[in-house]
Amino acid sequence: MADSVYLDYAATSPLDGRVLEAMLPHLQGLRGNASSLHAPGAASHEAIEAARESVAALIGASPGDITFTGGGTESDNLAVLGLARANPEKRHIVVSPVEHAAVRESVRHLEQEGYEVTRLGVDGHGIVDPEELERALRPDTAFVAVMWANNEVGTVEPVEELARICIEKGVPLHADAVQAAGRVPLDVGRVPVSTLALSSHKIYGPQGVGALYVREGVKLEPVIFGGGQEKGLRSGTENLAGIAGFGAAARFAAEEFEERTRHEKELRDRIVEGVTTIPGVRLNGHPEMRLPNNVHLTVEGVESESLVLFLDALGYAIGRGSACASSGHKASPVLLAMGQGEREAFSAVRITVGKDNTSEEIDGFLEAFSRAVEQLRELSPLQTS
Amino acid sequence: MADHYKPQVIEHLVRPRNVGEIEVPDGAGESGDAACGDIARFTVSVKDNTLEKVRYKVYGCAACIAAGSALAELVDGRHLLEAARVSKADLEDALGGPLPEGKEHAFTLVLDALHKAFEDYLNWRAGNLLVEGYNGCGPGESKTVVAAMSGGVDSAVTALLLKESGYDVATVTFRLHDGEPGSRSCCSPDTVLFARDTAHRMGLPHFTLNLKKLFDRRVMSDFVGSYASGSTPNPCVACNAHVKFHAAAFLADELGYYHVATGHYARVVQTPDGPAMVRPVDARKDQTYVLWPVPKKLLARTVFPLGEYEKTEVRRIAEERNLAVAYTPESQDICFIPDGNYRRFVRKKVKTEPGKVVDREGRVLGEHRGVVDFTVGQRRGLGVSAPHPLYVTEVRPRAKQVVVGRKRDLEISDIRVKNMNWYMRPEAASSVQIRYNSTPVPCEVERDGGNEWVVRFEKPVLGVAPGQSAVFYDGDKVVGGGVVARRGS
Repeated sequence: MADSVYLDYAATSPLDGRVLEAMLPHLQGLRGNASSLHAPGAASHEAIEAARESVAALIGASPGDITFTGGGTESDNLAVLGLARANPEKRHIVVSPVEHAAVRESVRHLEQEGYEVTRLGVDGHGIVDPEELERALRPDTAFVAVMWANNEVGTVEPVEELARICIEKGVPLHADAVQAAGRVPLDVGRVPVSTLALSSHKIYGPQGVGALYVREGVKLEPVIFGGGQEKGLRSGTENLAGIAGFGAAARFAAEEFEERTRHEKELRDRIVEGVTTIPGVRLNGHPEMRLPNNVHLTVEGVESESLVLFLDALGYAIGRGSACASSGHKASPVLLAMGQGEREAFSAVRITVGKDNTSEEIDGFLEAFSRAVEQLRELSPLQTS
Repeated sequence: MADHYKPQVIEHLVRPRNVGEIEVPDGAGESGDAACGDIARFTVSVKDNTLEKVRYKVYGCAACIAAGSALAELVDGRHLLEAARVSKADLEDALGGPLPEGKEHAFTLVLDALHKAFEDYLNWRAGNLLVEGYNGCGPGESKTVVAAMSGGVDSAVTALLLKESGYDVATVTFRLHDGEPGSRSCCSPDTVLFARDTAHRMGLPHFTLNLKKLFDRRVMSDFVGSYASGSTPNPCVACNAHVKFHAAAFLADELGYYHVATGHYARVVQTPDGPAMVRPVDARKDQTYVLWPVPKKLLARTVFPLGEYEKTEVRRIAEERNLAVAYTPESQDICFIPDGNYRRFVRKKVKTEPGKVVDREGRVLGEHRGVVDFTVGQRRGLGVSAPHPLYVTEVRPRAKQVVVGRKRDLEISDIRVKNMNWYMRPEAASSVQIRYNSTPVPCEVERDGGNEWVVRFEKPVLGVAPGQSAVFYDGDKVVGGGVVARRGS
């Protein structure tokens, strides 16, 4: 589908040509093992450390606090399992109900091992209540996990406030910032999170590489064992090209932050304005505290998969509103936690724009969208208001 | 984990056929619900058994929309018999191959909605005919048959044998009751889907008829009422008397078919005096005892192919032909009480009051919690201790009394029988069977002036309960039958 207009940047983003340039030297010819003593090894080591600096800079961290991993999911797993294993006497976990599956499922795994889990509520926009978090904390709370920005509805959580509450009680807070990176300002110097997960391919970097920020002094046990790379937190020969690409992508994300987010916001607002003129189409998530590139919609009377595939046939690639495996046919836990019914949850779609989209593309999309909705509603036996 | 569809599916999604809703349809059907994420609705206009117009609507995934579109296109303009034959495999062909994993339910969903529209149409055609009792006798073609399909092995093999012996076969499943949630008793919603699959795999059209009202009135109410009035009902007899055969005959007449068939073990033999019902080859499966009330007019159109087979052969045939039903368990007891606890079922439906357990002389021996818990001949659960075994010999609902006595008190030498259905001249009756699977007893039958008949046993018999059937035989032939009104003496 070369001609297709891509509007699913939250799923993954195209590789930036400049990032590819930065990766190529590490994909061709001899790529020394960064652990080796010789010159090729040293060159690789240097490239990794340069990338570490770029990634650290994107979130205001010291390079020494960045651990490269195999992706966002691995980063979340390392944080959740690592924080729990480092404090074995603490058997209680507090988690938001809108976490990505990478956090949700690793917490469930701990729950099956016998951990007690408190799942916070969210309001209709998907926002965690700081007071509820404060009440949930206990002396035996091992850690708290609240994502920085939600991957489905795009709501940005009040992480700074939540992190201050946690710090006061001495409980580590893990924030999944996979969607937030490059889209909202992230400064671990100001926001006292303990761990923070990042992914490369959401910011025009390669797939299969991510990072976990671990604040100095925070105890974390590894979940992968081997040669002790990444200060023992993530053994295994480094994904050199991937890390170099991630570094470049992080650098551009920081440099072009203002320009990109302004552009994304413009396109996002254009979409919201356009689609909400159609009756029975509602924006989900917080109207202001949301990712600059995310439009999450409930389209009454239309099932999301059919809308996604219909638009695909018209040349527009958007995402389903539920992040869960589509064939499992379960409503999104995020939407259910926000108080939506199952039918609403089955009628949700996600449109996420990126730096390369144009306003002409958006105009074309709006036309296609209203045609698809109209035709599918004609087909639907459900009443629309 | 995304689904990847064949281009045919996307084509139907973007340009669906026959979308919409007929404003005043002859039949409308809906399947699915919002909680499972998919809903399909079909409306049809029917003239001379041909689908003049088919419209559908779907809320659901691309697979459901495409399946609905393909199905509407396949059946539009077709004869009901052809439309009711369209199977999952046909839909698969129309959509270029199997759907992605986890999407197969789309076929079940749209087929069910269309078939419910047919059911709606047929029930509208039937009107009160099926509630009041149907005795029509249409001018159907000779080698045509409507075969009842319960979802079990017997009815599936019945349809198969008829097809293989050259009949045009249409199958029908009756919705008789809602069953218990999640149960797999016959006639529950899942069973309908299973029966439809089985029919379609054999290439046969499948229909459903909603007989819940009729069944409730003629079978369930009678069942509950009998216990409350101290008699022992036989719901299978009531169903054969008023429900199954009538409904199958109605459908046959609608479709221009002649015969009706079920998977009962019995035979119908044509004689100069009309049709005769005869015991089957497999004596252990003999069901003539519950078939006696089938009206003669309907019996004349009835075929029981299994009457010529042993049950073991029937299972073997199902296995050889790869029918999925080959391994379904034997249906048990009463279809609308899958757990077999009919006391509890009756107690949920009627209020019962406690009363006394008395002996034949009227002496109070104990208490009971309601006459519905008792039936003549019963030995357990009397709550009375005695030096010798005690049996229920009589139930007196008005006095709320349960009469008990010794085994010999159950012996009787004659009974009165009512609600007769005679296939042959009554004088031909040489023996009578008073229980399912029991040996017939030699007897004499005589009309008692009015509508009751007196049956005198050659030797006294034990424990005949009012409400049970008395079926008369001449050798292997069923002469007729009736319901035991009361003990003669």
